[in-house]
Amino acid sequence: MRSDLVDHVMTVFGAVVRGLVYSMLALPAILVVASSFTSSDTMSFPPTGLSLRWYKKAFDSEVFMSALWTSTYVAVLVSIIALAIGFAAAFAINRFSFRGKMFLQGLAFSPLIVPAVVLGIGLLQLFAWLDLTQTIYPLLLGHLVLAIPYVVRTVLASLSLHDQMLEQAAMNLRATPVQVIRRITLPLILPGLLSAAIFAFVTSFGNVTVSAFLTYGGNVTLPVQIFTYVNTSYDPVAAAVSTLMIIVTLAVILTVERLIGAERLA
Amino acid sequence: MKQSVLNRRNVSVAVLLAPMVLLLTCFLVVPVLGLLRSSFLPGSEFLAGNGFSLTQYVRFFSDSYYSSVLMETFVDGLIVSVVCLVIGFPTGYSLARLSPSARRWRTMIVILPLTLSLVVVVFGWLIILGRNGLINSLFVRIGVFSSPKTLLFNRVAVTVVLVQQFLPFMILSVMSVVTQIHPVLEQAAANLRANRFATFRRVIVPLAMPGVLVGFNLVFVLSISAFITPRLIGGARVAMLGSLIYERIMSELNWPSGAAMAFVLFVSGLGFTAALNALAGSHLITKGRGNAL
Repeated sequence: MRSDLVDHVMTVFGAVVRGLVYSMLALPAILVVASSFTSSDTMSFPPTGLSLRWYKKAFDSEVFMSALWTSTYVAVLVSIIALAIGFAAAFAINRFSFRGKMFLQGLAFSPLIVPAVVLGIGLLQLFAWLDLTQTIYPLLLGHLVLAIPYVVRTVLASLSLHDQMLEQAAMNLRATPVQVIRRITLPLILPGLLSAAIFAFVTSFGNVTVSAFLTYGGNVTLPVQIFTYVNTSYDPVAAAVSTLMIIVTLAVILTVERLIGAERLA
Repeated sequence: MKQSVLNRRNVSVAVLLAPMVLLLTCFLVVPVLGLLRSSFLPGSEFLAGNGFSLTQYVRFFSDSYYSSVLMETFVDGLIVSVVCLVIGFPTGYSLARLSPSARRWRTMIVILPLTLSLVVVVFGWLIILGRNGLINSLFVRIGVFSSPKTLLFNRVAVTVVLVQQFLPFMILSVMSVVTQIHPVLEQAAANLRANRFATFRRVIVPLAMPGVLVGFNLVFVLSISAFITPRLIGGARVAMLGSLIYERIMSELNWPSGAAMAFVLFVSGLGFTAALNALAGSHLITKGRGNAL
């Protein structure tokens, strides 16, 4: 009897918590989208009227559009370079046995344990010292460092999941290692590779905690621009721009979900 | 012959790993070490500065304001991690036990705030908590508030927003470890007349501990180093170490002081998680033995 009660309490508690959690996780994004279509001059919820005026204002805004361009440019470069570097490392870690493997794996994931403030300031100082703060390199290299753990993890997961017998069969048929990688390994893990690149893209595209320190020559990324904008003013332009970011991110998640299934990302 | 094959293998391993090692050494290890060096500069200049002293650290720890901010940052980080654990565990657990099709949209909801830029999420919270925001207009309409209240710019708001931001890390860590616990173990416990709570406490929790620890550490480190959320949600009234460092570097341009604060944050965070892991690890081993007997 008592155990029935405990079971019941746990079931109810779990259901309530889950309901709260899912709505809490989704709510901010939904509200941003909803308030971006307001026709009033100030941010308020529920939004009044329906218009696209804030989108027009966002697209006409020089600062937001150049920030969007910077973000996209950096994120595309980061996803290509991080994929190349991360794939090479993950391949070596997965397919070869060598001394210091655990150490290298730890190194690959170490960007996750360094607080963003520490990495941001450290990079800013390094590039100030190299006199390169007015270039795109601080942003590019900082984002590359951040993207490496995600790329290595995703590629490692897809490398260890697929059947290595196929590679051994190809080797037995006297294929060279390069042929094996190109004709067997790469096609098999292609979804994983694409997901890794996409993950690097979102990591770079959405980052604000490191980017906030790495503005160059007046050029900032879109999240940093939103941050500075929201810090001083509070109007629906920020909602319109944020909605653009939500659309990009959603599109990306849906693509990855199609490719490898969303839970494999996590 | 064997020697040359071995050498070629070593060469290819080195070539494959070199770019990553180079990248992380030059742009992760070197910047962190450079920052460590700057934190020992006596003045407030870093490019022109030289010398070696503990001035910045002495100043930090002798000023009661900084120690109280450090304390509050840690307490806040702990609260955020514990709340994330309490509400993230049931969610992660249920996600792991769902059928793949039911899991799909739920996982997307969990992953969205994780991939979405932090500022966008914080901006969403400004709409929820703002003076003309969701909660105020809702509560005024149903008569809970007589007039809109200031819900932003306090520590509770910062804590709530941090919980929402970092909750996905906890949910996903718990989920990934629970998927590895075979449901048969729970059925066995049930057959032995354990109720759900006993099964949870004696079977699920010990087995899920590694995932819980990973999630807990991640959430804790992320929370104590947060600075975007404290600035936008907490404003000037809520001081957290992360926003203090941001201010020190970006507004006051006092590098050595900011660097020292960043290192206090980094090292104390690492120390705390290491202590926690050691504690949980030893507890787990003795407890695991007790349960097995």
